[in-house]
Amino acid sequence: MAAAPKVQLDPSFSDIDRSVLGVMSTPGLAYWTWIAFCFTLVGIAGAMWARQIYSGLGVTGLRQPVMWAIYITNFVFWVGIAHSGTLISAILFLFRTKWRTAVYRAAETMTIFAVATAGLFPLIHLGRVWFFYWLLPYPNERYLQPDFRSPLVWDAFAVSTYLTTSALFWTMGLIPDIANAREAAVGWRKKIFTVLAMGWQGTDRQWRHYSMVYLLMAGLATPLVLSVHSVVSWDFAMAINPGWHSTIFAPYFVAGAIFSGVAMVMTLLIPMRKLLGIEDLLTPWHFDNLAKVVLLTSLVVSYAYITEAFMTWYAGDPIEQMTFHMRYFGPWGWMYWVMVLCNCVIPLLLFSPRIRVNMVMLWVITIFVNIGMWFERFVIIAGSLTANFEPSQWASYRPSITEIMITVGSFAWFIGLFSLFVKFLPIVSMTELKEGIVWLRKALKKGYSTAA
Amino acid sequence: MSTTLSAVRRDSSSTPRPVESVAGTTMQLVAGAMIALGAIAFVIALLRDDAATAWEAYLVNLLFFLGVAQGAVVASASFYLTQAKWGGSTPYRLGEAFAPFLWVGFFLFFGLYFGRAAIFPWVKHPIAQKAAWLNIPFLFARDGIGLGVMALASRAFIRISRRNDARAWTVATDDIELPPHSIRVIAPLLGVLYAVVYTLIAFDLVMSLAPVWRSTLFGWFFFAGAFWSALATMALTAVLLRKRLGANNLFTNPVVMHDFGKLVFAFSVFWVYLLFAQYIVIWYGDLPVETFFIVQRVHHMPWSPLSVACVVLIWAIPFCVLMSVRAKQTPSVLGSVAALGLVGMWLERYVLVVPSLSLDAIPFGPTQFLITIGFLGAFLISAVPGLNRVAQAATSGEPAGDLVE
Amino acid sequence: MSTIAIISAFADDTDCAHAIHALRDAQIRDLNTFAPIPSHRIEHALGRSRSPTRWFSLTGGISGVLTGLAVTIGTTYEWRLNAGGKPLVSWPPFIIICFELMVLLGGIFGFTAFFLFSGLPATVAASGYDRRFGEDRFGLVVRCDEADAARIESILKESNAEAVVREEDTPR
Repeated sequence: MAAAPKVQLDPSFSDIDRSVLGVMSTPGLAYWTWIAFCFTLVGIAGAMWARQIYSGLGVTGLRQPVMWAIYITNFVFWVGIAHSGTLISAILFLFRTKWRTAVYRAAETMTIFAVATAGLFPLIHLGRVWFFYWLLPYPNERYLQPDFRSPLVWDAFAVSTYLTTSALFWTMGLIPDIANAREAAVGWRKKIFTVLAMGWQGTDRQWRHYSMVYLLMAGLATPLVLSVHSVVSWDFAMAINPGWHSTIFAPYFVAGAIFSGVAMVMTLLIPMRKLLGIEDLLTPWHFDNLAKVVLLTSLVVSYAYITEAFMTWYAGDPIEQMTFHMRYFGPWGWMYWVMVLCNCVIPLLLFSPRIRVNMVMLWVITIFVNIGMWFERFVIIAGSLTANFEPSQWASYRPSITEIMITVGSFAWFIGLFSLFVKFLPIVSMTELKEGIVWLRKALKKGYSTAA
Repeated sequence: MSTTLSAVRRDSSSTPRPVESVAGTTMQLVAGAMIALGAIAFVIALLRDDAATAWEAYLVNLLFFLGVAQGAVVASASFYLTQAKWGGSTPYRLGEAFAPFLWVGFFLFFGLYFGRAAIFPWVKHPIAQKAAWLNIPFLFARDGIGLGVMALASRAFIRISRRNDARAWTVATDDIELPPHSIRVIAPLLGVLYAVVYTLIAFDLVMSLAPVWRSTLFGWFFFAGAFWSALATMALTAVLLRKRLGANNLFTNPVVMHDFGKLVFAFSVFWVYLLFAQYIVIWYGDLPVETFFIVQRVHHMPWSPLSVACVVLIWAIPFCVLMSVRAKQTPSVLGSVAALGLVGMWLERYVLVVPSLSLDAIPFGPTQFLITIGFLGAFLISAVPGLNRVAQAATSGEPAGDLVE
Repeated sequence: MSTIAIISAFADDTDCAHAIHALRDAQIRDLNTFAPIPSHRIEHALGRSRSPTRWFSLTGGISGVLTGLAVTIGTTYEWRLNAGGKPLVSWPPFIIICFELMVLLGGIFGFTAFFLFSGLPATVAASGYDRRFGEDRFGLVVRCDEADAARIESILKESNAEAVVREEDTPR
């Protein structure tokens, strides 16, 4: 893959354009091999799903009482990953954060693909997928009605709203950039970009309405971020299961989502900036700030773990205490402590300013965070179900090859889609980076440039 | 005027113009009188065997005013952590203005010891299973140490924040430089300590008054509400000082009012979100051990209208009124909304604490009113030096950031 | 006199805004700009009214809340199913649905309004557009009588315009 031309220490608008558009050069063999690899895994996962549809959910490891396990874990995990994008693009926009501009497009793209991935899992979990439309409130004669008092229905509304709103926000942001790409492109790319840019020319009329709607959508997306993962957490908190019924779930899950999401942004962007040669647009200054968000949310998650542990003891409910005892010291206790290590202990390294600008360390730490957060969801969801109220119903759970390959396939689907986007559409928002060029220049001057 | 860090450091050796004291003798005398009235009312109530309701008022006011004072210091720390330069150094001074009350609160907290039988139901009726946690020595030790550590950490933070290098950083709007190193150490520490200590305070001084009840979110809910009350107090102070200071003080800048308005708006939404998150989990699960707390306060008279009033004052009014940009920038509107909100937050503390102790009637009469006045007087008098510093900062002609984009 | 269009390019949006102020002071109002980034200075200089798209968004938000109430309360009354003893019209869950629909419709209406008001998709290119204006130059197009052209050009040059070109005015 040809690297994009490097920017100078004092980049101009044209430097940014050339650097970002340079990424979209014709991909080479290595790229297509990678895409083929990703989509092969997706194909295998698809085949596994087809077999599951044919044979039924028995091909999974789901057995009473653990009827929610890996698929729901993946659902929550991917919705969580999605939140970072909206945090960075919408919430940090409202805060007028200066370092947001270079990473916002990549994060927002991740959001779209993560929500799309997440949205597959309720369908995968359905077994009889073809009945998915029963969730919609259409008139029927079988007394079928989506029960709006059920958190699963709230979930359907929240996640669809999130997917739609994020997609609209993402599209709006893309239009000026695609117009830019249109000017520099030739051939079939130029035709496609011309259509996609919809005739955008940056007139004052267009910018005026763009700025207003962008601000409004950022203002709408902000409470949406809070609400979506709160609603997802309420899938569990509404139940009276010990380990699930806890008032702290909503903000705790939101913090956890931002935690895993921003970590995933870094996991993807750190190798990406190297491979694509845009290290001087995504500088260590940006990653320093992203790392601080990861650190803050790690502390919030640790606070939640400690509060839950304390409250379990304080409340004195013997069943709840048993559930948590199993969580910490039962057969799956090792998962809990791996989770604590990955989520609470390792991110403490990010208190060090030198580690926060060390790309290799950051990459390793964020991978651990993602592992930890995946385990956290699994521990909460499947773990609480294995040892519930009735000891005669206690049972364990082992994922089957179907579930494992579909999980692997979901990662491949996400990374594959992201990789496709990188080569065909601008992965850094040229417009916003130009708007904030003053800050980029300062970051580069302060020595944040050069290979790091 | 160059606003890079190096340029401001060169200028920072000049001291700000002295300004007439905004919190002068009149205010101090009035505050002193308020304290006296409160103390007298409290003592009379104790002598008259009205102890329980007097101690309730004491506790409610302690929680409210400590929350404002501590929340404000944490707000200043958060401004450093989010690199807020929209108002120069003035928002930082505003946050730090109420800090001396932390020491007052610390000592008043130990005063609760004398009312322990009236406040903590588990003193007269100990609960065996929770006795390791809910016992007087351990409670006063952990909360006392917590409040002491907070007061010390806040003092250390404020000392560092008042230094010239920190002040220079707050007005260097053209720079991406991080705050001075000592700030970068103490500010996050203060934030973490705040979350931990005020969670403990919430669990021990509010939740334990109904010892059977529990809510994992309660600590966070409490300190988020305290933080909001601090922001509202800072906004109200900004509005009040605006008239008293000379022309062209920082508070006449509509951008500064707008930013205060945004903070009040946003965190009131956050508060109602945390409230709803608890409500819906408890409502849906319908477990009697959890629901009684809410039923007492929301579904039964005489508390029901007060609970509704809290939500209206803290969330509904700020949400509807402060939605528009112009409203946020209008000082009279912002000030009124903030003042009403503070009444609402005081009421919220009242509704959280008192029904656990006196369920059937609302014990609020002249005694409780005067005790509240007393606490307010103590709060005002501790804010005197801080407010004068705010006045200095607001009239020093510092450039505020983000004025032209 | 025929109307012409004078197209100028600026490297800096401050200069462009300065030129706009000067032109408006000289009573020349038929101005349009092209810009690679949104610029508050230029927007402020042009002094146009605030975008009405926000009313669309508000309408969408309110419709969302009303739709949410209609759907939830309506279906609950159609199928009166007892769900865990909760009241038929339980406001806590219904509020969530109303909130999500508020955001959804507020976003969709706002997004649609953006396209409507911006004139997108635009099939006809605005006259005077040059690819530099998408990259790094701010363009200012002044439509005027040929008689005023010299005066306008001098104002533009005073504000550091880089290239000033006269063109026949093509219908927009």
